[in-house]
Amino acid sequence: MTKSDLIGEGVQVGSNQKVKTLQQAEHKKADNWSKIFYGKEGILFIAILIALWQAVAELSSRQFQFLFPTLPVVAEALWDSLPELLKGTYSSFLILAPGYLIAVASGVVVGIVTATTGWINRAFMPFARVAAPVPPTIYIPYAIALMASFRTASIFVVFIGAFWPIFLNTAAGAAAVPGRYRDDARILSLSKFEYLWKIVFPASLPHSFSGMAVGLALSFIMLTVAELFGANEGLGKFVQYYADYADYPRMVAGIFYTGLITFLSMALLEGIKKRVLFWVR
Amino acid sequence: MLISQKAPVASDGESSLCIDSLSFAYNGTAVLQDINLVIREGEFISLLGPSGSGKTTLLRLLAGMELPASGCITCRGRIVDRPGIDRGMVFQDYSLFPWMNLAENVILAVAKANPQMVKKQRRDLAEAYLDLVGLQDVQLKYPFELSGGMQQRGAIARVLALGSPFLLMDEPFGALDPVNRMKLQDLLIRVWSDASPPKTIVFVTHDVDEALYLGDRVLILGSAPGRIIAEIPVGISQPRSRQTFFGEAAFKGLRDRILDYFHRDAIEKMEFADRIKSSGEGI
Repeated sequence: MTKSDLIGEGVQVGSNQKVKTLQQAEHKKADNWSKIFYGKEGILFIAILIALWQAVAELSSRQFQFLFPTLPVVAEALWDSLPELLKGTYSSFLILAPGYLIAVASGVVVGIVTATTGWINRAFMPFARVAAPVPPTIYIPYAIALMASFRTASIFVVFIGAFWPIFLNTAAGAAAVPGRYRDDARILSLSKFEYLWKIVFPASLPHSFSGMAVGLALSFIMLTVAELFGANEGLGKFVQYYADYADYPRMVAGIFYTGLITFLSMALLEGIKKRVLFWVR
Repeated sequence: MLISQKAPVASDGESSLCIDSLSFAYNGTAVLQDINLVIREGEFISLLGPSGSGKTTLLRLLAGMELPASGCITCRGRIVDRPGIDRGMVFQDYSLFPWMNLAENVILAVAKANPQMVKKQRRDLAEAYLDLVGLQDVQLKYPFELSGGMQQRGAIARVLALGSPFLLMDEPFGALDPVNRMKLQDLLIRVWSDASPPKTIVFVTHDVDEALYLGDRVLILGSAPGRIIAEIPVGISQPRSRQTFFGEAAFKGLRDRILDYFHRDAIEKMEFADRIKSSGEGI
């Protein structure tokens, strides 16, 4: 018998936890990346799409088949180019990872500081509101012209794409920290730094993660578009290259592969979020 | 024992928390008007009043979270103009930080009260405070894993860990079921009676029984604007026994008196409202 049983709250806690696990199960069912197919309908829909693709490819004329390869042909192309694709993935991530991670770190820090410091807010927010909606792809040609190498230019544009959503979401979260946390922090006489680091940062993390998800999706767009412009290797370059040589099976394989990598990256982020935000209900 | 409070700051003993002709307004509406009050060191004050009587506002003013429109509050001779760790506060909504476990929540306060301590000492002291409120077995649990009563115990442990000689409590047991409410009342009284040096508590509630059972003195606030309409010394020695207290004639007499004040205040308000209404109907 534990002490909490003696206090008499053991029973209550027990039942509380039971309710919670039920809720968590519901939650998981609807919102878990590892379980995308929570109904038969999802699988059915994809099966129909594949069948449709195959049927159209089979039935189309020979001339058209060159643009619209059948699935076995695409699968073979995917298998053949796998080494090249893996190398391209590595090259792409050397651009994506630094750009995105710098955006995460700076977006969260700048977002928190901006939302909680009056004069920085007044100075930076008007600019942010003007600059954030600019479609980031528009910077690509200029970045390539300005920067010494294609790699630094691409890292920069990935950063620009991911920074704004992460910054804006974090700032919104930091501005919306519940009043009771602020009251508690004041009662505990926390210093400004302690308040930002121990209270505002965790309290706005759910918002930051929303920004990070949008930012990651935008990062992939920025990455592949930048690679279409002028890379020597990478996922975007792969697709561009085989399109130029009219090798459509390989191009389609490249599209599928890039889709898969993007999906896995998003799933990884979602997994990290679940782990970090265990206390959010 | 591990928990030993630092010696109290030099005080003039008798009047440790003074409120002097204090008024407070929010958006042009008077919330509190001409409050005068002297709270003695070691006293347990119950602040009783209907909703809208400015109880919470008065407590926030004492905490230094709001500033008075006029008048002033002094704490041991110093003007209260900001929160400080000499005045701890517990809120009604269990406000432990959900991303920290119980021990981490309490360590936050321990670290503020004892900046010279090393990590291990802080951890041990936090454990001692959690032990004091009966939570030693769940100190690594997170707030979402705990019942409301346990969370409020945690909040009490945290405010005790802050080592404040003054505790301001804003309906801390308001959201609890009756059984847990009783347990926590008795816990609070035990902690308060055992504290050395003594702690001064200002306890806001809208429950007449709770105010009388806990307080040395019950202050009754009237509403719109909030002002002290009565001051009732309870005069039954502490600590009190739950078994006999509610049966005592003295308790029943005080309770009737307090309810009478409430009714009178409510009726005054009602007549005032009726008057306004009827003058409108004539048009």
